[in-house]
Amino acid sequence: MTTTRKLAGALLVATALVLTACTGAGSGGSTPVNTAFPTEKVKLTMWWWGEQEAPGAQKYVDEAIAAYEKKHPNVTIDAVLQTTDGLVPSFQTAAASKTGPDIEYFWGGTNALTPAWQKQITPISDYIPKEELSHYLNATEETYDGKVWTAPWYVQPSFPLLIRKDVLAKNGLSVPTTWDQLMSVCDALSSKGITTIAGGVKDGWFGGWLYSILGSQDLSSQSDVLAAVVGTQSFTDAKQAEWWTRLAESKQHGCWNNDINSLELYQAQQRFVDGAAAMTITAGTDAPNFVKKAGGDANVEVTAMPSWADGPYAGKLGSSSQTLGITSWSKYPQVAADFIMFLHTSAQLDAWYAATGAMPADDRFDLSQVTSPAKKKLFDMASHGGPYLENYIPPQLDSDAVFKNVQLVLQGSTTPAQAAADMEATAKRLRSTDRTLVKNYTVWAR
Amino acid sequence: MTGGVAPSTLAPGRIAVRRSSPGSWQPWLWIAPAIAVLLAIFGYSIVALFGESLTFQGDWVGLENFGLIFSDPLFTTGLLHNGLLLLAVPVLAAFATFFAVLLFETKRGLGFYRAVVFMPYVLAVPVVAVVFGQLLQRNGPINEALRSAGLSAIALDWLGDPNVALWTMAGVIMWKEVGFGVVLILARMLTVSTEMYEAAKLDGAGFWRTHWSITLPEIRPILGFYVVTEAITMVSWVFNYVYVLTNGQGGPGNATVVSELYIYRNAFQYQQPELAAAAAVILFLGTMLFVIVFVRMQRRSLRVSS
Repeated sequence: MTTTRKLAGALLVATALVLTACTGAGSGGSTPVNTAFPTEKVKLTMWWWGEQEAPGAQKYVDEAIAAYEKKHPNVTIDAVLQTTDGLVPSFQTAAASKTGPDIEYFWGGTNALTPAWQKQITPISDYIPKEELSHYLNATEETYDGKVWTAPWYVQPSFPLLIRKDVLAKNGLSVPTTWDQLMSVCDALSSKGITTIAGGVKDGWFGGWLYSILGSQDLSSQSDVLAAVVGTQSFTDAKQAEWWTRLAESKQHGCWNNDINSLELYQAQQRFVDGAAAMTITAGTDAPNFVKKAGGDANVEVTAMPSWADGPYAGKLGSSSQTLGITSWSKYPQVAADFIMFLHTSAQLDAWYAATGAMPADDRFDLSQVTSPAKKKLFDMASHGGPYLENYIPPQLDSDAVFKNVQLVLQGSTTPAQAAADMEATAKRLRSTDRTLVKNYTVWAR
Repeated sequence: MTGGVAPSTLAPGRIAVRRSSPGSWQPWLWIAPAIAVLLAIFGYSIVALFGESLTFQGDWVGLENFGLIFSDPLFTTGLLHNGLLLLAVPVLAAFATFFAVLLFETKRGLGFYRAVVFMPYVLAVPVVAVVFGQLLQRNGPINEALRSAGLSAIALDWLGDPNVALWTMAGVIMWKEVGFGVVLILARMLTVSTEMYEAAKLDGAGFWRTHWSITLPEIRPILGFYVVTEAITMVSWVFNYVYVLTNGQGGPGNATVVSELYIYRNAFQYQQPELAAAAAVILFLGTMLFVIVFVRMQRRSLRVSS
């Protein structure tokens, strides 16, 4: 009996040691776990988004999967394109039952880390070697507690201002390069009943873009934003709040279409293509398509929002990457990781660019094949861009404070000071209702 | 003969008990499968919901989640908006009654008009919301028509102005829901004895007097049902409209946020299922109030009719 107990005890200790060893390897961050490729039939499901901002992505994904399945005949991948409004909720529903995708698409920063904090995804750095990951652009956005949680897939230059030079020239105006010049253009065009910048905030998203491209101009780094989230700085501090004043100023100068509150973003952008507006702001990935539709490089200037401040990010684009993560319930995380690495092979990077015209999130991509001046400028701005602020605030703060107050400021029913105060009040409330927020953001800020 | 005892030898009450004994469990037996399904689906969900509302990540926190949601102005705003939408219910009932009476008085084409009025109710909410979302844009067809007619002053930013967005949404809901009321009320009116109306006419009652004294009392129970159903719609079924009309934002600002949207966002967008559960419990209890009112009204009308 005693011998049996000793044996059982020894077995337990041995099992614990083996498990500890395995766990240690998995959580080391820099040392990937066993990546032995299975030989049995493997079926992966990928929920993704991106056709909406990088037209051609659907075709690319279908072809990439076909190429991967040809390379690995025992693997089949079922790719399901998600809607913009449904991307996060459908994943949350899947995560609640631990079913659904093996590979999930995430926007960068907090959008990728929130599922990590919820233990819904497994760190990508456990399965992709450090050297390989070092080529992926903007992976720092998804780095938390020493691990990279999702893999950058393609770059989102965030977000360029597209200017129709033909519309400006017709009205005797030139491309504005400073904030004051932009306001003058707005005055001139609005006096003629022409929309300067076409936008739509009904669906909210554009509000987050405006926060990032205007709000980053007076900040010294994204740490300022993280500090405001955890309460060591305030969203009412001058450098965090001044952008609300600039937003209100743009309204006063008649920069926007008067129906901005009743239009969705994509509806409004169409006016730029139609020549009914002199400028618009688009997803960087989609900018080349807008340039093409609006008459090409000769007609359209692609640039960053003119500066109103002199911070390090003023006059720069934000640079973010859209990412792919592996769910914590996936039976074949190593295959999922292998597929993600496959998307970063040279042939696939070229194929992505050929299909979408968007920039792959990999520094091994051969930029010499980019010939369009607009694209060259865009890719260059993205390569030297600043942080994309919206990716550093909690999604709830984004929706409940940024989206909401941008709508109200542009509608004229709230003042910049009230908007800033409301954003701070929302952040303060979140610090109590989201009981893990301060801890997670504090670790992230480190 | 139960137990071989003649009924005449027993007290009347005793006979009643013995005779009704098999019947007392038989109804339960027949409805047992339905009850089992209800308990499995709704009972479990409700218990799980109440349980989750009292925990945080599996740990017991008592009423803390309720404290948090009631300290959140977004939730209280959502509840307020649900309450404001309730104000549309009497208007809806009045419109439904009015159109039902109009159709009742229509001598020709009743079937056609009834179908036309009922049509919006058949349409899917997303279809209605998308269409009205386009029609009600600031520079949309409705406002263009108003401007063409020289009515620029009332060509408002229907869904973009926080001061009018909630009432615009209420209008869209009313447009869709009124057909249901019309069909319900009209169906009841068509079953009212025609002799009553003819007698009233012979007695010299006019249009208003006839409908005030005959139609209204006759349709009162069905009107009550309609009012309670629509009240429940405004409290706990309004999510579809808000989600599609405002792209899931409840905007502009918080102008159209309702408690259901708050629940949805916390559960599926912000990963705070415990707060969503607490809010859902409040909404559930609020809806139960309407159900209780409805059941009482039904009982009262049964008593009156018996």
